Amino acid sequence: LSSVPLQILFYINGIYYIFYFLATLAMIVYKSQVFSYPDDFLAPDLALLFIMAILEVLRLYFAFCFLRGSKGNLTEEEAPLGLSLVITVGSVILSVYFLVWQTYVLKADVIINAVLLFTYGLGSVLQVIAIAAFV
Amino acid sequence: RAAAPARPRSGPAPVTDVAELCVCDLLVAQCDVNCCCDPDCSAADFSLFTTCSVPIVTGDSRLCSQKAAIYSLDVEANPPERIFKLIDQVNPSVFCIHATNYKQALSFSSPEMPTSENFDQLLKQFGSASFSAEPDSWNMNTDAQSLSDENETYRYEYGVPIQTVDAFLRLPSPVVSSWCSDANPAGFLVNQATKCIRSVSVEKCGNIQAVSMLFYINSSILAVPKSSQMVNITVQAVVVQSLNGMRTLLNGSDVLRLPMILDELCINIVLGVSYHITYTDAGEIIEAAASFVLGAINKEALSIQQSFEISFTQVNTKPVPLSGNPGYVVGLPVRAGFRLQGYPFPIEILFAALVLNTNKYSQLTILQSTSNQDCLAAQGARTPILFGYNMISGCKLRITAAMKCQPLTQTLLDLLKGQSFPEYVASFGNSQAQDVLDWVPITHLYTSEQRTYNTLQSSCQIPVSLEMEVKWTKYGSLVNPQARIVNVTATITTTTLKQLPSGRERTIPITSSVVFTDISSSAEPGYKAWPTINAKLPFDFFFPFV
Repeated sequence: LSSVPLQILFYINGIYYIFYFLATLAMIVYKSQVFSYPDDFLAPDLALLFIMAILEVLRLYFAFCFLRGSKGNLTEEEAPLGLSLVITVGSVILSVYFLVWQTYVLKADVIINAVLLFTYGLGSVLQVIAIAAFV
Repeated sequence: RAAAPARPRSGPAPVTDVAELCVCDLLVAQCDVNCCCDPDCSAADFSLFTTCSVPIVTGDSRLCSQKAAIYSLDVEANPPERIFKLIDQVNPSVFCIHATNYKQALSFSSPEMPTSENFDQLLKQFGSASFSAEPDSWNMNTDAQSLSDENETYRYEYGVPIQTVDAFLRLPSPVVSSWCSDANPAGFLVNQATKCIRSVSVEKCGNIQAVSMLFYINSSILAVPKSSQMVNITVQAVVVQSLNGMRTLLNGSDVLRLPMILDELCINIVLGVSYHITYTDAGEIIEAAASFVLGAINKEALSIQQSFEISFTQVNTKPVPLSGNPGYVVGLPVRAGFRLQGYPFPIEILFAALVLNTNKYSQLTILQSTSNQDCLAAQGARTPILFGYNMISGCKLRITAAMKCQPLTQTLLDLLKGQSFPEYVASFGNSQAQDVLDWVPITHLYTSEQRTYNTLQSSCQIPVSLEMEVKWTKYGSLVNPQARIVNVTATITTTTLKQLPSGRERTIPITSSVVFTDISSSAEPGYKAWPTINAKLPFDFFFPFV
């Protein structure tokens, strides 16, 4: 069972995340110049952003691993998909952090984080449906 | 101590409600003009405004949505009234701050109030060089100064306090009230005389330091500032004053007399001290002497008046009272002297060719009028001529037939000129006898009252008036001109004494006067030269032809 919507969604997710990462990084730099952003508030924000990037890469890798299969035929295993779902939870938490608990939350932050959460939500629903198909 | 709160206090809480913030409300409890947000203004005041100087008060404009208070005047209504609206202003930018989790982001931080607990930490944080108000160059200057001071030799200068071993030479003087203050230092070359009141009592006779001789002579004076060479204060003379005011000079003046109680009186109380300091012209003190007036107090005395004075004399000179330094001071006597007989005329010989009269009545003097206006009965009373004061005096001479010409002439000359009429007058108030060039000779002129020559030359001419004209000029800087005497002329006017028939007598007035004339030339303004226009044609202006 190849889930085409899931595949499309993960592609869009990947592209959107690159944009999100660059935008958030640029806005942190902007905030540090315009506002008073002391070092002990700047460091956690940047660290969490990079952790989120790593988690996102892992998540997408596991998701595509499930979708492609290493042997050519669709080895429909739920293990990578389950792992991807677990990592999604972490990404969601980090996205909520950037939406609510960041030092400065600009309106642009709210917009892109909301979009990211929306795609995460959609992706999680489709992943759950895909895993349920195996069970 | 345990009740004091541990955490540091902070300043008053900042006002953040936009409805209560008003920047134009400057006068307290009064309505500010055109200030629509002033709470002290009533509706009647608002009707008189023309505009609102502060139309809107908002919070931080970088926030996405903030409260704003808008003040405006409705001029169409009658009377005009103020409109106050509280709205939410929205920032349309996509980069507006939606929320912030950093409390100090949107307001200035209130500084920490120093308390005894956090003072050291605050001092370490804010007491370093970047926060210090003194520039670093101050430290460098003191280092350089201390290096150069070591090689410099010190000396006293005018006005510098005279240093003693422990502090300064004290000259107690009244400060603010008449009570003595012991903190007044004596200045070098500053002749001072002070009087002040000190509270005493017979019971505390031996305890009050300031009434004992020892207090004034125990510390030795340093010969030059910051040196170890010391000059002891010697006791020059001791005068004892009894309770009824009679003073006697004691013979053995080297005995130190300390206050002690004798017959219910406290004796040997210091009533006056007079310091005499001898100095060299290099600014060194070589001798110091003190003369004391000691007195006694009885049980009823609660306070005594002490008088102090200090005078300075240069070594190897006799103290002569100066009439100014260097220019003459108005009101001080004109100093005069005469050349010793036997000295050769050339003035280049600079040893003391002039004898100064320290007795001011032998100086330049003028006849003093007496109540009895008879010249011959005047006892020779003379008054010193003071600089700047024009004086005139005189007397009446009764001439009888029996008077002979020559003795009368001599008597009148003595009367007019005095016993020792000087030959030279000091040019400056502080001219020393050694500097012969600083002295001006007195020019004598003789004029006759009669215009027409009497054919009989043998008739008697008697002097009837002496007019002295002292010409002086301003010398030195324009800001502080010094008076300097340039010329002194003594004019004696004579008149013919006609022989009287016997039994008749005549009265003629004899006058003497002194006039001071200022012959200084007035200052001329000096102007800068007119600026010239420096217009030169360029080198190759006439190129094809030159």
